[in-house]
Amino acid sequence: MALAEQIDTYLDAVEEWLRGLYHGMVTHPAYEKIEKEAEDVEDTFMLACFPDAFGIPSPVSYYTAELLPYLTEEFEAWERRLWDRGTMLERKGQQYHF
Amino acid sequence: MYRYVFFGGKGGVGKTTASSSYAVKCARQGVRTLLVSTDPAHSTRDLFDQAFDDDPQSVAGYENLDVMEIDPEREVDNHLSEIKHSMGDQVSQSMVNEIDVQVEMAHRTPGAYEAALFDRFIAVMRDSDEYDRVVFDTSPTGGTLRLLALPELLESWIDRLIHKRKKAIDLYEKAAIGNMEPRRVMDGDPIIDRLQTRKERFEFAGRALREDATFFLVLNPDELSIRETDRAIDKLVEAELRVGGLVVNRLTPEPDPDEQGRGARFLRDRVETERERLAEIEETLSPPVVAAIETRVAEVKGGLLDEVADELDIDVTTRQAA
Repeated sequence: MALAEQIDTYLDAVEEWLRGLYHGMVTHPAYEKIEKEAEDVEDTFMLACFPDAFGIPSPVSYYTAELLPYLTEEFEAWERRLWDRGTMLERKGQQYHF
Repeated sequence: MYRYVFFGGKGGVGKTTASSSYAVKCARQGVRTLLVSTDPAHSTRDLFDQAFDDDPQSVAGYENLDVMEIDPEREVDNHLSEIKHSMGDQVSQSMVNEIDVQVEMAHRTPGAYEAALFDRFIAVMRDSDEYDRVVFDTSPTGGTLRLLALPELLESWIDRLIHKRKKAIDLYEKAAIGNMEPRRVMDGDPIIDRLQTRKERFEFAGRALREDATFFLVLNPDELSIRETDRAIDKLVEAELRVGGLVVNRLTPEPDPDEQGRGARFLRDRVETERERLAEIEETLSPPVVAAIETRVAEVKGGLLDEVADELDIDVTTRQAA
């Protein structure tokens, strides 16, 4: 009985480790990648909404200004991301945790 | 005749005279008419000797005629304060400043004026059920004309924004692992909701302008005016908008044949030149000349308005929408 219990505990530990390893190596990076992609799409959305924030005049910015009250957090994050972004390679490479 | 009638042309050619006369003409025939003035100078109040504002008001002495004056600058300010107001409801004070810059900027761009005007046009067209005809006296900017040709572009732009927003939200929802709350959710997203409303408005405007509106261009018998009108026609045709005709204004009256003084000789020369210009207009510009209005001794107002109304060869009868 003691031996069976010992084996069970051991197997549980192994299973938890494996799940953790799988999550860390596969699942999480995958979701991170999706989230990054979402941010990228959102960035293009924001740029199409407010190109004049970067000095490009746009016929729709008068209308899209209406969205700003609902986009405050996105807007800040967007500006920060765009100003901070070094290169596309850097951004796309962030998913690889060397 | 179409439900929405626009009068355009460069500054000072007599758009207000032409549009007001046409509105009077319609009203006299029992057509319930709304005249919308967008000229910041608001000459309509001088013409009818009556003060108007943003709400349609009936004109003393005329049945079936209402006038409203739109002030684009005020529209821009209203829009701005509306946004700021909803920002106060939505956002914490610390965030407001950051966003304020962008909001202010959007309302100080050169296009804001036209966008506000266009917005108001759409609103007026939408709520004009109690009228059979809405006559627009557009402001003398080329921008207004350009904007009227824009609904499709704006619509597809908004479409693209909706598409992007949906895609981003979809990805956020997929990126939420297990019990994690996604950063954004599709259901009840205020951004998509607003964009959708915008899109519907542009759709309506595009349809109304294409199917139920016509443009009249007012010009004077001089080179500059003819050139400008030629370009305006091209723009309108390109945008698949209908140009109903041309109103030539400020023609010099001919002196009586027995008059031989210096003034009479000058007038005769002038009339001769203008006759050539008029022929040029009829030859080179494709829309028909629907009226050639002579310069009056005094400003066209009151009784003179009725006189000019008679000179306009523009149909007033209402018809079912195409």
